[in-house]
Amino acid sequence: MRIVRFLVRRLLQLIPVLLGVVVLTFLLVRVLPGDPIRTILGPNATPEDAAAARARYGLDQPVVKQFLDYLGGLVTGDLGTSIQSGTSVGAEIGLRIGPTFELVVLALAVALVVAVLLGVWSARRADRAGDHGVRLLALVGNSMPEFWLGLVLILVGYSVLGWFPAPSGRVDPDTNLTPLTGADLLDAALTLNGPAFGSALAHLILPVATLAIVVVAPLLRSVRASALEVLHSEPYIAATAHGLGGRTLLRGYLLRATLARLPSLAALVFGTSIGSTVLVEYVFSWQGFGQWALRGLLYRDYPVVQASVLVIAFCYVVVFLIADVAQAALDPRVQI
Amino acid sequence: MAETVVVGTARPGRFATVLIVTGSVILAVVALAAILAPLLTGWGPTEIDPLGTLVPPGPGHPLGTDANGMDVWSRLLHAGRLDLGIAVAGVAVAVVAGTALGLVAGYLGGWVDDVLMRVVDVFQAFPTFILALAVAALVGNGTGNLIAVIAAVNAPAYARLVRAEVRTVRESAFVAAAVTSGASTFGVVWRHVLPNSLTPVRVIAPLNAGWAMLTLAGLSFLGLGVTVPAAEWGAMISLGSPDVVAGRWWTSVPPGLVLLICVLGFSLLGEGLQERAEAKRR
Repeated sequence: MRIVRFLVRRLLQLIPVLLGVVVLTFLLVRVLPGDPIRTILGPNATPEDAAAARARYGLDQPVVKQFLDYLGGLVTGDLGTSIQSGTSVGAEIGLRIGPTFELVVLALAVALVVAVLLGVWSARRADRAGDHGVRLLALVGNSMPEFWLGLVLILVGYSVLGWFPAPSGRVDPDTNLTPLTGADLLDAALTLNGPAFGSALAHLILPVATLAIVVVAPLLRSVRASALEVLHSEPYIAATAHGLGGRTLLRGYLLRATLARLPSLAALVFGTSIGSTVLVEYVFSWQGFGQWALRGLLYRDYPVVQASVLVIAFCYVVVFLIADVAQAALDPRVQI
Repeated sequence: MAETVVVGTARPGRFATVLIVTGSVILAVVALAAILAPLLTGWGPTEIDPLGTLVPPGPGHPLGTDANGMDVWSRLLHAGRLDLGIAVAGVAVAVVAGTALGLVAGYLGGWVDDVLMRVVDVFQAFPTFILALAVAALVGNGTGNLIAVIAAVNAPAYARLVRAEVRTVRESAFVAAAVTSGASTFGVVWRHVLPNSLTPVRVIAPLNAGWAMLTLAGLSFLGLGVTVPAAEWGAMISLGSPDVVAGRWWTSVPPGLVLLICVLGFSLLGEGLQERAEAKRR
């Protein structure tokens, strides 16, 4: 019951934060230079054309009226209409968010497993050759331009070895995959489409690897740091002194205490991975949320920019909420 | 445990020195190569070889030419000027502006502190690269604008860092002594509070310069930073990215590798400084 109360309270606290984001983005996209109408009309448009287009998208109204209309739409779940494509922003997000989620969730999952295994391994060999090697790898990962890494993986995996499909699209169209959620791997599994599953998996490996390598570095560093802290802590030293077995020490003491520090960090890393996703999607022509938001930004497509900022902010706060719940589940000292 | 404690204090110091020296050497080599670029190559960074585009590496062009027929080796060397220049200048502006804001917020406290920190909160509510993308898309490119973008996305972190330090330093006895002996507020802040609040900034700044280079290259890769024909690693990678599918490595692999090594130089330097600061604290 306590957890339900906690969740409800936190979700209610989200409302003012998100409202602030909505007001701020709404004002900023309008105050700053750039005009969405000019980008759709082209150079030969007359002032009358521009005025007509402006009226069509409600941009001739006073800003307060525009804002109230937008807010009214939001309450009923209407995110507006894209100025570039003329279609509903909500529908476009529905189409684009699945592929991006698939990419980010898989990459984060791979990165978390690798970071925990390597980080604990490295901490137990602190200041020996293996540990120095792992730390150097983490530093290299931290310094890696993700878009370049993606290109190198394409060069090796596609152009030279020919093991992976070309970096265009997410699944072979010949497999006749029926889209359900937009996450192709999940859709293929749900529709029991074997060839599509294989194709989606083959398309996923390189971008997931790219994102995972960039994301794993900061996680690895802090897993190592917290594992070291646990190894030097009094409870752990006492447990060793009592002669507990290696397995009990590793699972019951080291791993458990190290994992308890992980959720808040993973949430922070999720934030940076959003930025990397934009670049990785661009390199692999992923046609996901990141590429869509970037295009909206470049064309000053107000409704698209507003919606994508809102979605990013929403994901960000929800991920932190999940991290807090996970932290409470892993660490008995944390009360929520 | 006594043994490990001895090892723990003796070794990080040496390891830190290795990191700092390695990082500094890398950065010095890249900076020198950028400054001395005209002496190391016969081609100008934007000079077009009329005899060929996408020429593979060979005698005339050690790293071949790109899709515009420009010499990759020459561009690789010259690019360090923009990449290092913009990143370091941007972080320097961020440090100065952020430190100033943090000093004011931390020392004055009250509503000034509240207002400044809420603004910092808003900036930090977004991932750095997303923020940089948004700001760059709005202000447009050009060297001055890019320095401003790098400074704007990084300054809030320094403001928060310095503010936290100032709030502890403000309470120390030597500040109280300076105030009671009649020193002006500016004098106290400038001579006593500021120098004692800069330790974390010194550690973070090199790491930050590395990330700033990645941000700049990422923006250029998307066409929002430095644009071709100017020589910059991210823009070079962007121009070379279609070649990768055709198996032509020389247009995009070398600039990325140099960028990686250069950022690694900053990371090693920052990591070494961090270890040294921690070793001192123990």
